[in-house]
Amino acid sequence: MALEYILIIFLIISIIISFGIGANDETMAPLYGSRILNMKQILILAAIFAIAGALLLGEGVSKSIGDKILLLDYEATGINQNAVVMTILISTAIVLIVSSALGLPISSTHATIGGIIGLGLLLGGGDGVNWSTILEMSMWWIASPIIGFTVTYGVVKLLNKHKLKSLKGFQDFERSENKYSYIILIIICITAFSRAGNDCSNAVGIVVGVGDEINLTLLLIMTGFGLAAGISVLGRIVIKNLGKMTELRPSTAFAVQVPTAAVMLIGTIQKIPLSGSHLLVASLVGLSKASNTPMKKGLWKIIVIWLLTFPIAAILSIILYFPIDFLI
Amino acid sequence: MKLLKEKKNELYEVNKEFLAETLSGSASLHEALSTFVNDKLKRESLEAVIQVEKRCDALKEKYVQVLYRDKRALPFLVEDRYKILMMIDTVNDKMEFFARFLEVYPFKLYKEIKEEFKDLYSACSQAVEELVDCANLIETDFDGAFKKTFEIEERKREARTAKFNLLGKLYKMKDDPTKVYLTSKLVTYMYDIVSWVEETSDYLRGLIIKYPSK
Repeated sequence: MALEYILIIFLIISIIISFGIGANDETMAPLYGSRILNMKQILILAAIFAIAGALLLGEGVSKSIGDKILLLDYEATGINQNAVVMTILISTAIVLIVSSALGLPISSTHATIGGIIGLGLLLGGGDGVNWSTILEMSMWWIASPIIGFTVTYGVVKLLNKHKLKSLKGFQDFERSENKYSYIILIIICITAFSRAGNDCSNAVGIVVGVGDEINLTLLLIMTGFGLAAGISVLGRIVIKNLGKMTELRPSTAFAVQVPTAAVMLIGTIQKIPLSGSHLLVASLVGLSKASNTPMKKGLWKIIVIWLLTFPIAAILSIILYFPIDFLI
Repeated sequence: MKLLKEKKNELYEVNKEFLAETLSGSASLHEALSTFVNDKLKRESLEAVIQVEKRCDALKEKYVQVLYRDKRALPFLVEDRYKILMMIDTVNDKMEFFARFLEVYPFKLYKEIKEEFKDLYSACSQAVEELVDCANLIETDFDGAFKKTFEIEERKREARTAKFNLLGKLYKMKDDPTKVYLTSKLVTYMYDIVSWVEETSDYLRGLIIKYPSK
């Protein structure tokens, strides 16, 4: 197949992947839940930051997918590495798109690792997967919702205690909440911007590997648009679902978002693959418990999809590998 | 930002105006009742109560418009403010209804129940006055507003005592049944105002408890 055609196919797949990642981007959920902005405003803002983040931060971020987890000797076994990478990304994108259509936020990291495990088992058997790394990571997967819950619970309790002393009336309350709404807006915009830069690398990586004659700026803009389209088309369902999980207002959205962002930042610095979705959902549960407000029914659906993400992604990658390997 | 500030100020201003009108309606009703117990009903005061209710309706519309425009920032506060407004507006409606009833009440008040009647309308006027204070205080001082709600509860107890003392005397009277019946209605309608004021203050107390720990 001519290089141009391969490039076009990779480009389309790259956009589909970015669409899938954007579709499951729940960053803006606290803004919707606390009703600081309406859905239309949120989607416009999300699209702007997705494109800007992809364009300004995406360059130079090329992720090596699964090199720590997959123990495959590509040269010795003759396994097509491009097919492996593409299978993982496509299966991740499909899992993300389907779960987003159901309004369920999942971890793209989990979906990716599920796909990697599936291919590792398929191509290398039990030895194809670095189980000690998986075990190490799984400890963090269990720990991250607990951290999210605990930190948010503490922050909400502290906020309530502080407010009991300082707020004297509706007008005070209103002023205080207005301040929080500006702060949370800035924090979420920064998060959306950096997340777009990080996310687009997953989509861009595969195309960059095809050849040198690629206009990277144009590619980043396209993936940025893919992310924005994902957020606008399916992401709105996830944002709506998550934003309405419990009663949110600017100060509690702040209590939810700041620990999530802080823990994610620590995770990134320490190279721990934490899930932003898991942290956010756990933080919302922490908020609900700390402020004695009920959780919306349907939390169990999210937990079930979290548990099923690995096996579904693994099975999907096994199914997809053969046709992709055949085509590439 | 400046626009937002202007909107907020407008909301507070309309709210203040609405509460001031409610207070003036209560004062007019008090004036009408003090002349009524002396058998010289001042009908202009009753008309003033009716006019206050009309002005309050217009202010309510204006308030709702401002709330609607300003709904984005804190919807729960908007909802609560809207409910407070509606509840206080019902106080105005009840005062207006009472004023209209008194306008067509064709008798003079029994001498035997005048003291209890005075106690009742004093409690009623004080309760409305305290409710307006409470609604003003809730904007800037939760503690002060919280204390007010207990004072309103006390007014309701006073009104209830006066009402049943009055009805006790009234039902023993062997007079024109229509007069007895309409007088008992007069008393009940007045007590309804106090009762609703107390219900509104209960709601405000609930909000005060809820807000700082919300």
